[in-house]
Amino acid sequence: MTAKRTMTLNLTDAEMRALDELSARKDVSKTAVLRQALRLYQAVEARVERGEKLLFENEATKEKAELMLV
Amino acid sequence: MVDVSTIYLVDGATGSEVRAELRDSIEDAQLVDWQLKWRPAHDALIRELIQKGVSRQQWPQSSHWDWRRKAAQVQGLLAFRGFCVLADGETQGMAQVELTKSARAPVQAGKPIVYIEYLEAAPWNSPELGRAPRYRGVGTALLSAAIALSVEEGFKGRIGLHSLPQAEDFYRRRGMVDLGPDPDPGHQHLRYFEMTAEQARAFLTEE
Repeated sequence: MTAKRTMTLNLTDAEMRALDELSARKDVSKTAVLRQALRLYQAVEARVERGEKLLFENEATKEKAELMLV
Repeated sequence: MVDVSTIYLVDGATGSEVRAELRDSIEDAQLVDWQLKWRPAHDALIRELIQKGVSRQQWPQSSHWDWRRKAAQVQGLLAFRGFCVLADGETQGMAQVELTKSARAPVQAGKPIVYIEYLEAAPWNSPELGRAPRYRGVGTALLSAAIALSVEEGFKGRIGLHSLPQAEDFYRRRGMVDLGPDPDPGHQHLRYFEMTAEQARAFLTEE
């Protein structure tokens, strides 16, 4: 098992509610949600740095919308 | 720091247990083995299959995989992890997994899974031409590693993958649910398989 380090995280009530909701919906711990978020953020950043765009496609209409990252 | 576990494979010729290592990383030594050992073995196998008149559909379907390129594409990204099995000083199998995909099976749709992007045993461990593989159990060890990672990450053992046609029975025999051909042309209509948390528990208990 990979060694892990501990940190304290300060969240607002709204952020904590969002974290709780994601944790319940995804059936994972709050730590797992945050680790997933970090993986996704890093992966998106790497692709955007390569010049790629982040697009969402509506499965029904096939309409595409770009998520702007600043 | 690479995590190393002792596992046991089965010698294909004698049926005896062989001590091996499962490592939670694909390092340069594996890519050197792939280039200098796997590829020549693949080429020799293909030549033999041609000589014997075996149709192209029956050739190993993963022999075009370029592990050096695959490893380079995901280097440094937290979303990807690799595993390898070592025995007799050689790389016997490798797997690359992704941690940001979600389950599709109705009972667990939307929940995170460990998605197996690539899983391949060394060519001498494949049963082509009716020969006994040098070592049995490499694929199962790599599958177990993906399930164990899923448990460690809090995904409760859930895993998913698109299977090459030649490997479909392997995954069915290990209790994975066949969700049928993927309609997305990006996945070449390969069949998609998933393992639920319950099936993962049963798999790990059996193993």
